[in-house]
Amino acid sequence: MLKAVTLAAAGSVAAPYVISARAADTLVVSAYGGEYQDVFMKSVIEPFEKKFGVQVTYDESGGAAQTYAKIRAARGAPGFDVAAELTAPEAILGAREKMLELLSEQQVPNLRYVWAKSLAAIPPVGVVTYYQYMALLWNTKKIDKPTSWAAYWTPETLHKPEVKGHLLGHDPGTNLLEVYALIMAAKLKGGGVQDMSGAWAALQDQKPWLGAVLQMSAQAAPYFENDEVWLTPYWSGRSGYYVAKGYPLGFTIPQEGTIGLADVSAIPVGAANKKLAIEFLNFRLDPDVQRAFCLGYFASPARPDITDWPASFVETQITTQAKMDALDLPDSAVLSKQRNAWVMKWQEIMAG
Amino acid sequence: MTLSRARNGGAVYLLAAIPAGFLLVFFVLPILMLLSASVLKSEDMVPVAQLTAENFTTLLSHKLYLDAILRTLGIGVTVGALVIILGYPLAYVLTRTRSRWQPLLVALALSPLLASVIVRTYGWWVLFNRDGAINGFLQTMGLIKAPLLLLPSTAVIIVGLAHALLPYGILTLMAALNGVNPNLERAAMSLGAGRLRTFASVTLPLTSSGVIGGFLLAFGVAIGAYATPAILGGPGTQTMATLIYSFMMTLLDWSLGSAMGVILLASSFAVLALTMLAGRRSAS
Repeated sequence: MLKAVTLAAAGSVAAPYVISARAADTLVVSAYGGEYQDVFMKSVIEPFEKKFGVQVTYDESGGAAQTYAKIRAARGAPGFDVAAELTAPEAILGAREKMLELLSEQQVPNLRYVWAKSLAAIPPVGVVTYYQYMALLWNTKKIDKPTSWAAYWTPETLHKPEVKGHLLGHDPGTNLLEVYALIMAAKLKGGGVQDMSGAWAALQDQKPWLGAVLQMSAQAAPYFENDEVWLTPYWSGRSGYYVAKGYPLGFTIPQEGTIGLADVSAIPVGAANKKLAIEFLNFRLDPDVQRAFCLGYFASPARPDITDWPASFVETQITTQAKMDALDLPDSAVLSKQRNAWVMKWQEIMAG
Repeated sequence: MTLSRARNGGAVYLLAAIPAGFLLVFFVLPILMLLSASVLKSEDMVPVAQLTAENFTTLLSHKLYLDAILRTLGIGVTVGALVIILGYPLAYVLTRTRSRWQPLLVALALSPLLASVIVRTYGWWVLFNRDGAINGFLQTMGLIKAPLLLLPSTAVIIVGLAHALLPYGILTLMAALNGVNPNLERAAMSLGAGRLRTFASVTLPLTSSGVIGGFLLAFGVAIGAYATPAILGGPGTQTMATLIYSFMMTLLDWSLGSAMGVILLASSFAVLALTMLAGRRSAS
């Protein structure tokens, strides 16, 4: 009895070390699930396994902040080698808290080909692997194509009363999308990140027109399926996916422009297989891998030197320097500082 | 003989030490970590080594957070009461019936436990949403012209949680009712007490431990529940659990999240202590 208990105790104590002592040819990658996983497996993971003769374990994760929360909780050793889906605020926090590995162009040679904006957007603890932007998504059966963010933020001036209840909102506490949408609302009223007062006034007016407010973007799928949502800001990647799936939806960049989202891959400081993780980050920036992934996920590439994209892709994605210059990437350090206060203000208005 | 007793005693201590050690490592230590994180200052989402009560004052001074705390406690008390009110008659029938179908009836009463709480909660969402079955029925019957906005709402969160926790209440009450000697009820009735008086004077007092236990179980789970308030609630119906998730997992402000966790824990202990006290008073 005592022997069994001792063995069990020893086993449970040793387990983390046994798990962390993974083979050098095994890489654990944490990334989104669902439709993203299918595209990621085919366009990135499988070619990587083939090229390097290694095995990749896919660790299905939640959003960027949840992934970073795991890294922080595990003091930089969360059990995965690559956090494939972080965003700029997590990269900045990771650099401050020293939870993410510092990377150089020497280690990741493909970094010399990325958009110049990518290098400025985050500290050198990650690689921007693709871009999305906040699109304005509309139901093509129900309303005309919107041309301005005002269609979403001041609906009473542009829509008939039957649109009431068919606008979709997002929780800024759980989805960066709403933070970006609020910034666009502030811009409409002459403000911006430094002056959000216009956004709060717009939110107050728009509130009665909202039919639902979601925590995560993925929760919107059933609302699109049953035509319940007619207008919402939405990430360009998923927007393209639903349009390609045949839903009666369209997505556009309104005349005021939009805000981009840099998707970042990074390596936790305590990763078990850093060498292979660095190879993986470099591989993700290879032109062929970029092309396959971006076409599959309706995302914009991380480098400007890939040409001959299909015309339909060029129309909706950031593929030229001019388009990249027009894309607003707000200062993530400012966003990180302000976000809690903005979330509280948003909650107060929505609860009122 | 003495040596054998000593050996047995050692084995008993060892057996007790394993769960005690487990609790120490996986409950007491995390609670201590939570307490320490709740009094750390947070600078731009990074906890720094500076003690402060600011996290608690922030949570207890803002109407938004105070409302969420009160709403959570209100949900907990209402769900606890509903579970007992709805569960008691059912548990009574299930324990007292002489039907040969009794095992099947018990299994049916507890069958909701077989489905995930997420599935059951989405079931309520299907019923209550704007284009859901309830609005559809009311519109078909001509009772309403435009769909009612039934979601998000605290009332539907209560319905969802009461439905999810009812089987636990039934189990607790059945255990208490099984412990009541039916002869005591018969004796009361033979002395002239009616069914209602027998229930009020004999059955209910003798099952008070089950009532308190069922209430506390439902209350404790309800105030800490995340999935049901997240799915059936919205920005205006935040609870402590949804706020904790938001602080910890998306805003990455662990100091505020920990402080809210401490308030949640303290609320649970306070209600536990009050209920136990009330139980003791009524027993004496």
